Parts: sequence; structure tokens; C-alpha cells
Amino acid sequence: MDNGLMNVLLIEDNAGDADLVRLRLLEGGSHVYVSCVDRLSAALASVAQQPPAVVLLDLTLPDSNGPEAFRRLHDQAPGVPVVILTAVDDEEMAVKTVQQGAQDYLLKGQVDGKQLIRAIRCAMDRQALLTSLETSRQQQLQFKDEFLSHVSHEMRSPLASIHQFVSILFDGLAGPVPAEQRDHLETILKSINQLQAMIHDLLEATRAVSGKVRIEPCGIGVTEVIQGAITLLRSATQEKQIGLELVVGPSLPLVYADADRVLQVLINLIGNAIKFTPHRGSIMAKAWLEDVDPGFVYISVSDTGRGISPEAKPSIFERMYQEPAALDNIRSGLGLGLYIAKELVELHGGRIWFTSQLGEGSIFTFTLPRFSLAGLLTPVITHQGRLREALVLIKVEVSPPPGTSAFRRKAASLCCREVLQHCIYVDRDLVLPGLGNSEPDEIFFIVASTTLQRAEVMLTRIREQLERCPELKASGAFNVSASSLELPTAHDEVRLEKLVLQVAEHVTDTVVLALRRPQNFKGISKPKPADGRTGKRRTHAKAKNSDRRR
Amino acid sequence: MPKQKILIVDDDPDLKKGLNLRLRANHYDTVYASDGFSAVMMAQKERPNLIILDIGLPAGDGFVVLERLQKNAALATIPVIVLTARDPQTNKERTLKAGATAFLQKPADNAELLEAISAALDQPPGTMAQS
Repeated sequence: MDNGLMNVLLIEDNAGDADLVRLRLLEGGSHVYVSCVDRLSAALASVAQQPPAVVLLDLTLPDSNGPEAFRRLHDQAPGVPVVILTAVDDEEMAVKTVQQGAQDYLLKGQVDGKQLIRAIRCAMDRQALLTSLETSRQQQLQFKDEFLSHVSHEMRSPLASIHQFVSILFDGLAGPVPAEQRDHLETILKSINQLQAMIHDLLEATRAVSGKVRIEPCGIGVTEVIQGAITLLRSATQEKQIGLELVVGPSLPLVYADADRVLQVLINLIGNAIKFTPHRGSIMAKAWLEDVDPGFVYISVSDTGRGISPEAKPSIFERMYQEPAALDNIRSGLGLGLYIAKELVELHGGRIWFTSQLGEGSIFTFTLPRFSLAGLLTPVITHQGRLREALVLIKVEVSPPPGTSAFRRKAASLCCREVLQHCIYVDRDLVLPGLGNSEPDEIFFIVASTTLQRAEVMLTRIREQLERCPELKASGAFNVSASSLELPTAHDEVRLEKLVLQVAEHVTDTVVLALRRPQNFKGISKPKPADGRTGKRRTHAKAKNSDRRR
Repeated sequence: MPKQKILIVDDDPDLKKGLNLRLRANHYDTVYASDGFSAVMMAQKERPNLIILDIGLPAGDGFVVLERLQKNAALATIPVIVLTARDPQTNKERTLKAGATAFLQKPADNAELLEAISAALDQPPGTMAQS
């Protein structure tokens, strides 16, 4: 206390009782300052403003009663010791509140001043101890995360060096290698790859804990990503002779997601499925729409593996979790895959869960939000519940000379997107996200809330910035143009959502026309009727939206 | 056609050695420097077709090297691939702005690095100059 006084907050609605307690405190020790409130709401406000050294809480208050009063107070200020001081002699309630974190449960009539002061001091000491324990626990957790992050970071360079030189030997760059030695080198390489994957997971997980993982969503087709994951894991399935099948509902809409991150989730899920599925088992990846949840695309990975034991089920998404039964025989990895998968799915605004039957297999399912142009446009083209007065569609076209490598085109594309992001007002303009998974974007669109005349300023700025970008300069010409967007007429009875939807449709039509990519890019289309969904497509069938612009 | 020459700038001798073998196997000529100062000297003397540059270096870090290269009209046109263990989130944009052609994080996959190299080399001459 600044003034040497112990600051006591008394929460008591009975004025007589309040005076009595105050009196007791003063007779028990003079270094006490008592402030009194008669409502829990007032107490919460007072605690928020200046936390007292201790709270004396009556459990029968006009605006809150019993353990509930304590819980709300404790939630708001977990570090402030609370002594219950009540007329209710209820042993059960006493035990319950103390279990929940109250420091003591005293009866009003039974304590004198000295006892009360002693109880308060003990409460404060215990609370201080608890607080310091919690602080050191937090410090240790943080230390552990930093340690893990640091160690895995430091292990990468020597590991990369081992990888480099073993692969130099393996590739015969240092002289011919006999077949048997090559075989051994291959075993070493495989182990190094495992180690590198683990370290990568560790770094990812520590990044996820500290909230450093970023996603860059755009409109992508999940089928392509699933196919990518299947291709990457093909050799692992062939080794165990596991069948891996992809089943995709027809006309699956695009999702708003980061393709690299979704690939990571799928590799984790399918990788797990392979790990826990016996020889000649089968794995199926599925993507479909669910009528009850039309805003999301569902993706699942099911296997005919060992399944997950009931005891393991609650902890399966926890960091570093390994199923005990799995430890003996098929232990590999750090138990981070599902944790990372969950973090990544939730960053996209999706959910992940599983069902599993011991001995029969598991199904992991996750959802990703559908790409909705209207959803992205709403905060930008509406203002105070109305559509903006004028909208302009800006088109930026980068045309690299023929024969430019994919790498350079990608660099130019990234650079262009970055430049455009810097040239707009984020609250009223939108750079449309890229569409598709692999090809670098070469045509960009901006929906800007401005008039055609005023848009000229933005166009000039964009041209200037693009000219300064070394990657774009190397990749050839670019073209920037603008056209005004026709606005739907607003009648009173037409809802704003509908208007936004109309703008979105209009933008989509224009964009699709420009990209000459007619089908399946309707981020805004309605879910297809259920009868169309029963048809199935196999792995080798090409996804519709992979038919990209040439 | 004469071999393309690549200057490797890194203070880790193992990485240099490994990269050297890799690049020679892919028909590139290599020269090296292990600090910022000699990196610029070597670039002057050897006129490489491409530079692979680390950021954390003694005697002038990668940013200093990029700046010196950019200031010298004869060297500014040489494409530079930055290859560093540093976090791309905080360093990528900065290196690209400083004149680098590409940013790769260590440890880089061989295939990825070789692709970046051939991509940087097929650039028509003169287009890398900063205005």
C-alpha cells in the first residue's frame, strides 16, 4: 500500500453488518482501510479500477447470489484473495467456494477482530504464493517454447549440411558409389528427411503457440490441393500397398484458404492415416458440401487403420500427444501433426474433428469456408448500412514475355499483389484475391469505392509503384485500366445483402470474362441441388477448375 | 557456350563446400568470399553471372553488400539470390527492396535453389538495373 494501509474491499448489502465488520477490522488492527459496496456490479467496477489487497464477500447480494457471486469476482480478478464472510452456515457451500479458489469461508457472527485480521493475512499470503507459482509456471512454459524454438532452429543448419553431403555422395558427385553403399546412403537420407520434418513441425508448433503463423487465403479449389497431397504421399502408400482414393462431389465451389497451409493439413492427416493403416489397407479422401452448413466445404480423410482408443480421444489434438499404445511399435514423429492441423484449420475459420472405431479405422473431417466474393466485398462497398455511391473496377494486367520461367512469373505476381495492396484504402477498396492453386496470377482486379474520375489518382499511383518494382520491370509490360461498375438501384424493400450480391455477381461476370475461365468460378453461386451431388469422381478425373487460362 | 560463373558468399565453410560441389555438378563455375568486404572485391574482380549471398556475414553484412553492388553500375546488373537462415517475414521484403532478385531460406532444397539460379540467369541482361 502506498500509504501503508491495507486496502480491504467489503462487499455487503446489509448496512448494519457492514458497520460491524468495519468496526471489527479497526479493533483488530489499525492499518486497515475499508471501502464498502453493496452490489456485485459495483464491486466488479471497483476491482477493475483498483484491485484491493483483499475482498470480503457476502454471498447474499441483491444482484448475485452464492457461489455465482464469488465466481464472477474471481474470474475478473484471479489474483485478488477473496474471503467469504457470510451468515449462511452451509458446509457444502463452504467446501465448494474454497475449491473454486476462495481463500476462506467465515461466519459473520463467529469471528472477532483479531481472528478476522489473521484470516485476511493468511489469505493474502496464500494468494501471493499461488500467484507466484502461476507466474513461474507461465515463465517455464515460455522458456520451454523459446528453448524448443531455439534448439530446432539451431539444429537446422548442421542437419542441412549432413543432408547436402550425404546427397552429394548418393548422387555420385564425389565419385562412383557401389550399389550396397548407395542403399545405405538412401537409408541415411530417409532418416535425415524424417528428422528435418520433425524439426519443421517443432518450429511450426512453437510459431503457432506464439500466434506467429500467418495465412494468405485466396479462392482455391480443394480438389487440386488434395490431389497434390496424394501425389506427394504416393510412394509411402505404395510401400505399404495401401489404396488411396479421392472422391469429390461434382461442382464443388472454391474455398477461401491458403493452398500451402491446406496442403500441410492434408499431408498431416493422410500421413497419419498411412502410419496407422496396416499393409493392404485403404485410405479415402473426400470433399463435399453439406446441406445444413452451406457456407463451408467439408473434407475428410478416412482409413481402415487401428482406430483411436476411447482414452486417447479427448487428447488427440493436444500438442506432443502420442497415443500410449502407439508408443511401443509405431512411434514416430513428435505428436505435433494434429495439433498443427487444428491450429491451421481454425486460422481459416474452419473446424476439425474425428470419429473412430477401435480396430476399424478413423475419419478425420475438417471444414474450410467457401469463397464468397459478396462476403469479402460487404465491408468495403457498404457504408452505414448502404451501398457506396460509386464503384470502380480496376484491372491490372502483367504480361511477361513468352518463355519467362514459372519462378520469375511467380515473383512478379507476388510483387504486383503487394504493390496493389499498398495503393488502396483497405476500408473502402478490395484487391480481389487470387483464384486457383498453382498458376501465378497475371491479371488483378480491384474494386474501389470511388468515381471513375477520382480513380485516376489511384491508377497513376499504381503505375508509378509498378514501375519501381524490379521483378515486374524484368517481366515486361503491364497495363492498368479502370471502368465504372454499374450499381443496382436500391429500393427500400431490397435488402442490402441482395444489393451486395448483385454487385458481386456483376464483378464475377466481368472477371470471368476477362480471365476466360467460364465454369466453376462462382464464389457466390448457390449450393447445387442435392440430386447433383451423388455422382462421384475418381482421383484421375481432372478437376473442373484446373482448366485454367492458357 | 562458356560456363556461367557464380559467386558464393557465406561464412560457413561446409555450406560453401557443399554448394560448390552441387553447382559444379550442374555445370556452373564457382568462386567464393566469406565476408562482406571480400564479396564486393570478388564481384569486381571476377564479374560473376550471379551471386548467392548470406545475410549474417563478418565485415559488412548482406545488406551492406547489396548496397555496394547497387552503387556500382557495373555490378548492379548481377542478379543476387539471398540465401539466409533469417526469418523471411522480417527480411524478405527488405532484401528485395535492397536489390536482391530472390530470397531463399536456409536450409534450401537443392532443386529449389537450382531453379532459382536458372530463373535468375535467364533474365535478359540489363533488366535488373535499378532506376
